[in-house]
Amino acid sequence: MGQVVQAEDWVYKYADILFNYTLARVQDRGVAEDLVQDTFLSAWRAKDSYNADASEKTWLFAICKNKIIDHFRKKSSSKEQYAAFDSANNFFDENEHWTKQDQPNDWGISSVSIVENKEFYKILDYCKKKLQEMQHNVFVMKYIEDLDAEEICKVLNISSSNYWVIIHRAKLQLRKCIEQNWLNS
Amino acid sequence: MRLLNISCKKATYLVSKKEQKRINLFDRIKLRIHLSICVLCRRFEKQSNLIIKNVTLTSADEKLSDEAKDRIIESLRNVP
Repeated sequence: MGQVVQAEDWVYKYADILFNYTLARVQDRGVAEDLVQDTFLSAWRAKDSYNADASEKTWLFAICKNKIIDHFRKKSSSKEQYAAFDSANNFFDENEHWTKQDQPNDWGISSVSIVENKEFYKILDYCKKKLQEMQHNVFVMKYIEDLDAEEICKVLNISSSNYWVIIHRAKLQLRKCIEQNWLNS
Repeated sequence: MRLLNISCKKATYLVSKKEQKRINLFDRIKLRIHLSICVLCRRFEKQSNLIIKNVTLTSADEKLSDEAKDRIIESLRNVP
């Protein structure tokens, strides 16, 4: 009986924070739910080998982080990676100048006031989730997980030049999406 | 001078390399020259740095549904 109570305690204590952590790193809610469930399952199976060197919370987050990276790895091997080269948007014309519709416009507000604006974060989150999947995953690994380029290439099994193109496209897309939503809000 | 001229496409790519500190000296000089004359690429650098710096702050405050929680608890109970 003791075990049953502990399972509930665990889930009610950590499920929401793990869910938010995962939601910030994957594009799909259903995927986030599955990853949280997997995290609990792995932790539960390993709970006898868990020693109290790290806090329970730290331990769960470490497992969760591994699940997320693993999810990216699987996605990268199961998909044609080159879909990362979204063809719909070129940003530059044949002379490699910015096209009129893609060029960066003045956001008309200082950086300081932007980062104090809640709306900015909503738009940022929305635009991040709208990135093409490979771009999104590379972007998250780099800027949220803070992995370096070599590690990311290794996990996703992509070349260095592929990595640079993907991360750069992600930034171009993200910047444009934020501008469109920011200036129209 | 032709040697130091780069396009906006190339310049923004170098902005991304520079941001991760993976740019060589020659490219750095070319980029600096381009940015000194191109307001659009200067904007790109400024805005994308702003995005990157703040991307970790977008913490959602959402709850996992009770059904999902119950499902997880149920699955833990079924672990032998």
